Amino acid sequence: MRALLQIAWRNLWRGWRRSAVVLSALTVGLAACLVLVGWSHGWVRQMVDSAVSTKLALLAVHARGYQANPDVERTLGEGGRALVAAIERFPGAAASPRALGDGLVQSARESARVVLVGVLPEREARVSAVARSFVAGGFPEATPIGVGHGLPGVAIGAALAETLKVRLGDKVVLHAPGETGLGAFRISGIFRTQSQGFDKSQAFLHLEDAQRLLGAGDGVHEIAIALADPRELPALTAFALAELPRVRPDEPLEVLTWKEREPRLAAMLDLMASTAWIAYAMMFAGMAFGIANALLMSVYERIREFGVLRSLGLPARQLVWMVLIESLLLTLGGALLGLGLGVSAVWLMGRVGVDLAGFSGGLSQLGVGATVYPRLEALDLVSPLGLALGTALLAAIWPAWKAASLRPAEALRHV
Amino acid sequence: MAETVLEAQRVTKIYRAGAIETVALSDVDLVVERGEFSALSGPSGSGKTTLLNLLGTLDRPTRGRVFVSGQDTTEMREAERAHLRLRKLGFVFQAYNLVPVLSALENVEFVLLLQGVPTAERHRRALAFLRELGLAELAEKRPNEMSGGQQQRVAVARAIASDPEIVLADEPTANLDSKTAEDLLDLMQRLNRERGVTFLFSTHDPRVMARARRVVRLVDGQIASEERRGE
Repeated sequence: MRALLQIAWRNLWRGWRRSAVVLSALTVGLAACLVLVGWSHGWVRQMVDSAVSTKLALLAVHARGYQANPDVERTLGEGGRALVAAIERFPGAAASPRALGDGLVQSARESARVVLVGVLPEREARVSAVARSFVAGGFPEATPIGVGHGLPGVAIGAALAETLKVRLGDKVVLHAPGETGLGAFRISGIFRTQSQGFDKSQAFLHLEDAQRLLGAGDGVHEIAIALADPRELPALTAFALAELPRVRPDEPLEVLTWKEREPRLAAMLDLMASTAWIAYAMMFAGMAFGIANALLMSVYERIREFGVLRSLGLPARQLVWMVLIESLLLTLGGALLGLGLGVSAVWLMGRVGVDLAGFSGGLSQLGVGATVYPRLEALDLVSPLGLALGTALLAAIWPAWKAASLRPAEALRHV
Repeated sequence: MAETVLEAQRVTKIYRAGAIETVALSDVDLVVERGEFSALSGPSGSGKTTLLNLLGTLDRPTRGRVFVSGQDTTEMREAERAHLRLRKLGFVFQAYNLVPVLSALENVEFVLLLQGVPTAERHRRALAFLRELGLAELAEKRPNEMSGGQQQRVAVARAIASDPEIVLADEPTANLDSKTAEDLLDLMQRLNRERGVTFLFSTHDPRVMARARRVVRLVDGQIASEERRGE
């Protein structure tokens, strides 16, 4: 086998121009594939991260049935305090109670539908990226009752501020269904996350103000949970499912991961994995023809030589191996070079980020920022190697069979 | 009585190209014995190379039987024939046909490698052959760095390296100038005399025929005459 490897290796060098062309095509093709796949992963991951870090949270606890029917009356009692405390016994977990409801925000000139989100600012800052996204001001603080001069605060997204034509400190009126659902507020903060859709649709109030506006008493609708290490999510979910009913035995709960709350987003992640496979498969299918062509040419040129090897007593099986090894060396060489080039390119782009300011309007509607950071998963690197191996064998079958099927005398007569 | 190395019994070879049939050999009987230095002669198209290929198991006869060291090769599978060639037969071709990507030494070693000779032993034996044939200085050279005569001498070294029963040489001098051809024939004659290597040539080179102790003349795919000479 060593001798066959040696001969195959030297044969590749003998036709170095042809080998170089095939190798370059493989390298560039695979690198381009990796960049494409890295790109897709990058923006889908950003989209997921953006959604999880703002609206969804990794894990959420609701009163049972809230996900299917987000009724404002379906609350968790006592401000969810016992549940929050229980959740935070899990190492690395942070929880934030939220009161949620539909509403309308009205400025002097415009109005818009919003989701009212009541939060405790210091808690929300631990689970949500919104706290880090303020371009002016911040979350509203609690309004002391009975103090006449101060209006309660509301924080909105930059896109909504533009729609309403308001700035920090301006007055707006919030409406919510119910008897108490009307109040004047002052813009306490303006944020800009990666998602324009989020920025247009959310209005953050202090938890108590929201509870008052929504008529929710001391109830909350959601406990949003973040984790220092998101890979712990399954363990946290199991912990929550086991522990929370013990804390509130009389309160039916639902514990949902972000994937359960946004199955479409989760499906996109899976789709990206399949897309990577399809991209690779198409690339290698195309390359298989190129490699087969190069091998076939080189086999045709050497038929006489194969005749000599066969007449010296080289078994047909070993001749097949020789051609297969040539193909394997060429393809694996190209795959490794392509992986090196592609991974370097993705790594570099992932570090620096690719600025798409020109398209950012469109991207931010998808929940992706103006700068995309391509990234690769471990599986993205394993699959092309496997496919390269398959391609090498597939491409070499016909040339190898051709080489081995000739009778020595016939091959020796070949001109 | 001398031992039979090769035997053709009523061998016929017909080539078919579409509807056209060409009879290359017709009912040829031939026996080659150990120690011979023989030539198959005849004009172009007389069937010399065809007969040599059939005797060397490089091709299969349309009819008749070919025996190598008493073994009937006619019904053998291709793998068995390859094994037989590896163990019993050596070949020298008109166009030298060394493996271009291997050095002279590696070309000689290649057959030993196929025979499963261990690396050190293989290397020692191949080098010894090259030395014996005065080719030691070419050991590391590739075929494209050697003259035609040098390549053909390496090809002879390769053919005898496996210690075959017989070396089949197809027009070995056809591409060589007179001096180089004479040198090559000297070499093969010496190997025949000193090492007892059996040679069978196909040739129309008078220099080869002049040295052969037996000349079998083929005309139109049949044996027309046979001449035996003393040394």
